[in-house]
Amino acid sequence: MGKVADAMAALDKDGLLAEVKAEIDAHRDPIEIVEDARKGLEHVGSEFEKGKVFLMELMWASQIFKDAMELVGPEIKKKHGSSQAKGRILMGTVKGDIHDLGKSIVRDLLTAAGYEVVDLGVDVPPEAFVERIRSFQPQVLGLSALLTAAVSQASVTVEDLKKAGLRDKLRVIMGGGVVGEIKVSEFGVDFATNNANEGIRVIEKWIAEAKGG
Amino acid sequence: MSAAESMNSYERLELAWNLKEADRVPVAPVNCYILPWLGGINIRDMFLEPEKLIQATVKAREMLGGGDNVDPNITTLNHLGMFGRAGWDQATLDWRIWDDFPPKGNLPSLYEKQMITDYDDVLKRGFAPILYSKDVSNQLFKRSIDEFLYYEYEYPKIYADAWRRYVEKYEVPLLMGGRACHPLDMLQYYRGISTLTRDVFERPSKVMEISEWWIEYESTLAMRDAMIMGAGEVPGSEIIFFINGGPPGMSPRIFDNIFWPIAKKMIDIFVKRGFKVHCHWDNDLTPHLDTMSHMADGLPKGKIMLDLEKTDMKKAKEKLGDRVAIFGNVPSSLLVYGTPNEVDKYCKKLIDDCAPGGGYVLSTECETPWDSKPENVKAICDAAKKYGQYRR
Repeated sequence: MGKVADAMAALDKDGLLAEVKAEIDAHRDPIEIVEDARKGLEHVGSEFEKGKVFLMELMWASQIFKDAMELVGPEIKKKHGSSQAKGRILMGTVKGDIHDLGKSIVRDLLTAAGYEVVDLGVDVPPEAFVERIRSFQPQVLGLSALLTAAVSQASVTVEDLKKAGLRDKLRVIMGGGVVGEIKVSEFGVDFATNNANEGIRVIEKWIAEAKGG
Repeated sequence: MSAAESMNSYERLELAWNLKEADRVPVAPVNCYILPWLGGINIRDMFLEPEKLIQATVKAREMLGGGDNVDPNITTLNHLGMFGRAGWDQATLDWRIWDDFPPKGNLPSLYEKQMITDYDDVLKRGFAPILYSKDVSNQLFKRSIDEFLYYEYEYPKIYADAWRRYVEKYEVPLLMGGRACHPLDMLQYYRGISTLTRDVFERPSKVMEISEWWIEYESTLAMRDAMIMGAGEVPGSEIIFFINGGPPGMSPRIFDNIFWPIAKKMIDIFVKRGFKVHCHWDNDLTPHLDTMSHMADGLPKGKIMLDLEKTDMKKAKEKLGDRVAIFGNVPSSLLVYGTPNEVDKYCKKLIDDCAPGGGYVLSTECETPWDSKPENVKAICDAAKKYGQYRR
C-alpha cells in the first residue's frame, strides 16, 4: 500500500490529510489517490471482520476517508469531470424502528467505495421504499432493522415490493443487531447479516454480477 | 413462596449478590414494555397511570411465569436522563406513537439528534438552556406550569407509592430504585454517535472533562429517585440501575481510557453512599473483561451485579465470578422467534456455565422484547427451577 493507504489503515487523520495534500501538490492523478485511500479503508474493514478493529474505529475510518475526499473531490472534478458511480443502492431503516447507526455506517462505507447511495432515513414505510425504487432504480435495497419487531416489518416491505412487481428487479439485504441470529428465509430477503463489512462485500458481489463482472 | 422453595425472592437474590448459592438460581427476565403489552394497556397509560401499570404487571407476570424481581420501569420513565420527567416532552421522543404498540404505533425512542453543540457552554451553564430551548423542547411549552410541576415533583411520589404497595402485597423485590446513565451513553443521545466518535478521536480530553463533570449530576439524580422509591425500606429500591455500557464497539484503548475511569468512579460513588449497583451493560464487552475485573476493587462484597447483553457469559464468570454477580443473557431473537424448547436448552447452558458456586441470576439480554412469545419467557423461569437447584 502507498503512504495514503498506510495512513488510512493506521486511522491517522492528520497523517492521511497531510499525505493527500502532498500527493495533490505533487500532481498525482486524484483518482489514484482515492484508490489508495480505499485500499486503506478496505484494510480497516477486513481487520474489523477479523475482530482486530472495533466498530468505533470503523466509523472513524469512514469519517476520515470522507475528510480526505473533501480534499480530493474538487481535484477529480477539475481533471476528470464527474465520475460515474459503481452502482445504485437504496437504504433505510424499516417502519417502526428509528435506529440509525448501523445503516449510517454501511451507507458511509458504500459511498466511500464509490457507490451512489440514497438513504431514506429511519422509520421508513414500505410505500416510501416502493416509490423510491421506481424513481431511483437501485440494484440493491438495504433494509436496516434492529428491533425484533422491525425484522418482521422488513418482510412486510418485501411483500409490498412483490405486489408492486419490483421484487425481481433488485436484490434485498437486511442488516441489524439481531438479524444474524434469525432464519432469513422466512423474511423474503436475499441475505442478512449483523456485520457491516460482510454486508458490503455481498452488495459489491451482487452489483458486479449484475454488470456481468 | 412455593412448597418446593425454601427462600423468598429477595433472600434468593441477596445470596446471588453476595456470590453464594441460594435454594436455586434466581431468575429475573427484564420485563419492561412486555408488561403493558400483555397487560392490555397502552404506552401512554404505562407512563401516566401507575395503578394501571401495576394491574398490567400483575396480569402479565402470571402469563410470563413470574420471576424473582419486577422492573418498576424507572429506566423507561427516565430514559431522558438529564431532563428528568420533564424530558417526556423532549423533541427527540415521537409522541405521535404512544397510544399503541408497533406496527400502528412505536415505542418511545430517542432520535439521534445533536442537542449538545457546545461542550463548554454545558460546562459553564449546565443543561437548563438546552431543556428550556424552544428549538429542542417545543412540546414542553404546551404544558401548564402546574402540569409541569406535577410531573416533575408530585408524580414520582405517587409512582413510588404504587410500587411500594405492589412489593408489600406480592413480596417481589424491585429490579431497581433509580437509574443512571454513563456519560458516554448520554453523549450518544445528545451529541449523536457519529459526532461522539469524532470527539473521542479528535478531542478525548474534552470528552473526559464533560464526563467527569456529569458524574455527580447523573449520580445524584439516580440516588434521589432511589430514595423516592424507598431505598432502605422497599426491597430492591436500594439498587441503582447503571446503564448502558457505552457506545457500541469501543476499542480497548477507548474503553480503558475513557469509559472505564468514569464508570468505576460512578460505581464507587453509589456503593460508598450505601447503594448497590446493577450494571446493565449492553454490547459485547468480552474484549474488556480484564479491565472490568477491577469493578469491585476497594468495595465491600455483595454490591455489584453485572448484567450483560452480548458478552460471553462463560468468560465473564471465569474472569469476574469471584468478585461480582453475573446476570443474563437469553437472546432477544430467541424470545421472539424461537421455541420454549430452544429457550430451555439455552438456559440450561447458561446455568451450567454460570451458576456453579452461586452469584448468578438467569435473565434476558438487555430486556425482554415486548413481542416475545410469553411461553418463551415462561420457559426461562421454568428452566431456573428445572436446572438451577443447588444441592446442599
